[in-house]
Amino acid sequence: MQFSDKKTNLWIDKNKLEIVKKSFPDVKVEEYENAVFIHVKKDKLIDFLKFLKEAEELQFKMFIDFTCVDYPFHTPRFLGVYFLFSPEFKQRVGVKCWAENNSLPSLTGLWKGAKWAEREAWDMFGVKFEGHENLVRMFMWESYPYHPLRKDFPLEGIADTYLPSLNLRPDEIPAHNYSPYHTYVPSMEDLEETEKKRIQKKAQIVLNWGPLHPGTHGTIWFLFDMEGEVIKDCDIILGQLHRGVEKIAETRTYTQFIPYTDRMDYISALCSQVAFVNAVEKLLGITPPPRAKYIRTMMCELQRINSHLLWLGTYALDLGALTIFLYAFREREKIMDIIEGIAGIRLNSSYIRIGGVAQDLPEGALDVIRHFIKDFPKRLEEYETILTKNRVWLRRNVNVGIINEEQVYQYGLTGVVARSAGVPYDIRMIQPTDAYGEVDFDVPLGKVGDCYDRYLLRIEEMKQSIRIVAQCVDKIEKLKDKKFIASENPYVIPTLEEVYNSIESMVKDFNLRIYGEQAPEGEIYLSGENPRGELGFYIVSKGEGHPYRLRIRSGAFYNLQIFPELIKGRTVADAVVLLGSLDPVVGETDR
Amino acid sequence: MELLGTIVGITIKSLIFIVGMFLAAAYLTLLERKFAGHVQQRPGPLHVGSHGLLQPIADALKVLTKEDLVPDNVDKFLFYLASLLAFVPSIMILAVVPFGEPFEIFGFKIYPYVSDVNVGLLLALAFGSISLYGVIFAGWASNSKYPMLGSLRKAAVLIGYEVALGFAIAGPIMQAGTFSLREIVEAQQGLWFIIPNILGFVVIVFSVLAETGRTPFDVQEAEAELVGGYVTEYSAMKFGLFPLAEWYIATFVLSAITVILFFGGWNPLPLLGWLPIPGFIWFMLKLFAVFMFFLWVHWTVPRYRVDQITELAWKVMLPLALANIFIVAIWIMIFG
Repeated sequence: MQFSDKKTNLWIDKNKLEIVKKSFPDVKVEEYENAVFIHVKKDKLIDFLKFLKEAEELQFKMFIDFTCVDYPFHTPRFLGVYFLFSPEFKQRVGVKCWAENNSLPSLTGLWKGAKWAEREAWDMFGVKFEGHENLVRMFMWESYPYHPLRKDFPLEGIADTYLPSLNLRPDEIPAHNYSPYHTYVPSMEDLEETEKKRIQKKAQIVLNWGPLHPGTHGTIWFLFDMEGEVIKDCDIILGQLHRGVEKIAETRTYTQFIPYTDRMDYISALCSQVAFVNAVEKLLGITPPPRAKYIRTMMCELQRINSHLLWLGTYALDLGALTIFLYAFREREKIMDIIEGIAGIRLNSSYIRIGGVAQDLPEGALDVIRHFIKDFPKRLEEYETILTKNRVWLRRNVNVGIINEEQVYQYGLTGVVARSAGVPYDIRMIQPTDAYGEVDFDVPLGKVGDCYDRYLLRIEEMKQSIRIVAQCVDKIEKLKDKKFIASENPYVIPTLEEVYNSIESMVKDFNLRIYGEQAPEGEIYLSGENPRGELGFYIVSKGEGHPYRLRIRSGAFYNLQIFPELIKGRTVADAVVLLGSLDPVVGETDR
Repeated sequence: MELLGTIVGITIKSLIFIVGMFLAAAYLTLLERKFAGHVQQRPGPLHVGSHGLLQPIADALKVLTKEDLVPDNVDKFLFYLASLLAFVPSIMILAVVPFGEPFEIFGFKIYPYVSDVNVGLLLALAFGSISLYGVIFAGWASNSKYPMLGSLRKAAVLIGYEVALGFAIAGPIMQAGTFSLREIVEAQQGLWFIIPNILGFVVIVFSVLAETGRTPFDVQEAEAELVGGYVTEYSAMKFGLFPLAEWYIATFVLSAITVILFFGGWNPLPLLGWLPIPGFIWFMLKLFAVFMFFLWVHWTVPRYRVDQITELAWKVMLPLALANIFIVAIWIMIFG
């Protein structure tokens, strides 16, 4: 089985690097197999990025990600890393810049999407941004004294708040040996200050929409400054589900981190796993066997249908169509059963392994999937009968939350949100991983960019996913090679059978589990097409068993960022529609 | 003596109606839940009693025995008044709704209605509007943002549909020449009023859905937007009275009025008059059909935005109601 590797490298090519060097001779280029970075001095950064964005033959106008890396023994200490994409030439570039005096120039003038990313960097690293309009914390509350992603911040936090209530029982009958000290807990005043820093009341009332509200799909805290029911100003407080996944990653081996990716976007766990494992495999130089590739692609697409069904159900529920919710969950349940049968776990499946998948497909799995893909299009038609031409549905969706192409590039919108604006940005197409290069599918594009377009696109994507699954099932059935994990590779944990039957495998298993996959020194940025947008993993490896820095570029985080701009001048009722169609999952926005 | 007899008679009859309505409302909840369940391909209540038949009683016990929380910041008087004000007027409409013709048992003449006033329809409308104050008071007294938004929405919707409703019922009144609901039914012994009044019926359906807060128009409690709308701060039976009043009693009574105005009340179906079915049963059958229609709508369609409802009310429903009056007037000129 041949897998085409033609277009998998998305990074900036030699010609373009020459052009860059001609205009900026003092930049340094740092090349890896799956990432190309250009080092710029801080004072030239804005000019350089402007050049990348606007030069006719480059056009890196789409903002992908910004993050920092902490090198405690280097001066200056923090390294800012920018990722840009050129929709014209389908190429990516990374830009690195040392934050002298712990500060960097703000990019909000060039890309509005940098606003939240810079706030996150300030929150997590304490890097200041000159010219940022409102540099407040992103996930933590105001008056939190630390910057958790710095290397000198311990994983378990700093227990500096005296909470005697933990040990109120008298000494004679001690209940637990709790320490009376706890990590910093936000008080009401802290939260109030957090709110005040983000929004100032100008209209009639400030409505706290969330963090626990049936319309917000999790724990997002919206602040609406409202005149009657019209929202005049809006801001978002994130972080109620912030668990510091990126910090945890720095202390776990690559295999140990797979379950954490499940718990980020818990609606589409398999897609997150595949995106992460692909990045690690590229870093380690592992090629999974073809069977594993097809299984991954098939499971990803099943998970995508699953995720879109949950979206459809809750979206319709938000708009008052109660019945669709249960119809969608009826089919979702079938996919859940399929995933449970194959992976053993329904939601956070942890099924993908570095080098392949955890187990081979059980007997009869393909028959069940084949039955499902035969049955599902009829059900999809049923949903469409109820919704697509429904007058109320049209009135609520059409022309609400229109996104244009420029906003897609400005905010770094990805996934269905980008495609609804007519931008053909689908990682499965432009950088096919696994078996995506071997299957046929279309990427539907929207024309208007409103909520109705996004609804139509998700319905159409489910149809396309069914197509992909059907092709994968056929291919897997014809495959003679039954190998599902490349366990001959030194970096891949052997299967249980091998561990029990050979001492070498046992030693290898022990080594990999205790010391981790000693990845070669290098850096990689690789992304996968999550149902919620581009889920990218930027891994900095120092040759240890765990990543030195792992940055997760979350699609939902960037997609949510456009919400305040789109909601201004609309009502609360539209906020529900808009939020539903942007479809964030808080586990992924907060990480 | 005669006065005393009348008073005792009306008291007993009212009690029968009120208790009957309570029981009916309890079982209407079961009906709705079963219906919704089957619409959504699930069984609905199943375990309390045979096929969930005792579920309403269990629900009632649960709601009655729950702790009744009253938040500190509410206006206590209005807060208590609101739940009563939503509930009492909607049950008072029953006073003027006739459920059948007078009939004789053991020499007693029994009237299956509490009173037959000659402004019955107007009274029904008035009570229906008063019950809306319950919603508005609830929102205001709760001293909280979500309930207030909910009641403001309801007030905005109210202004829209009440006008259309008033014009829509003019058609049947013109044809029958009376406000008495009993006489309106008697005027439909030949042709039902649905025939010339079809536009009026459409407007009535819209208004009933809006008044009872059922789905395309349930903006005042849209849970995805406003948590619980105007009932957010309520708990226990004070909370229970709102859905009971709006979703069950009001829907039931307004369905009855719809049947009386457009579907010939207790007159038998055309060509089926020879069947030995009493008028009361005919009435209940029609009432059931109309009630189920409202449930069906509720569990199928999404919800409008509040500005879209007022737009619909003023731009579509009001002209339709006026057109209905025009059509009926021509009908009366031609056919008398």
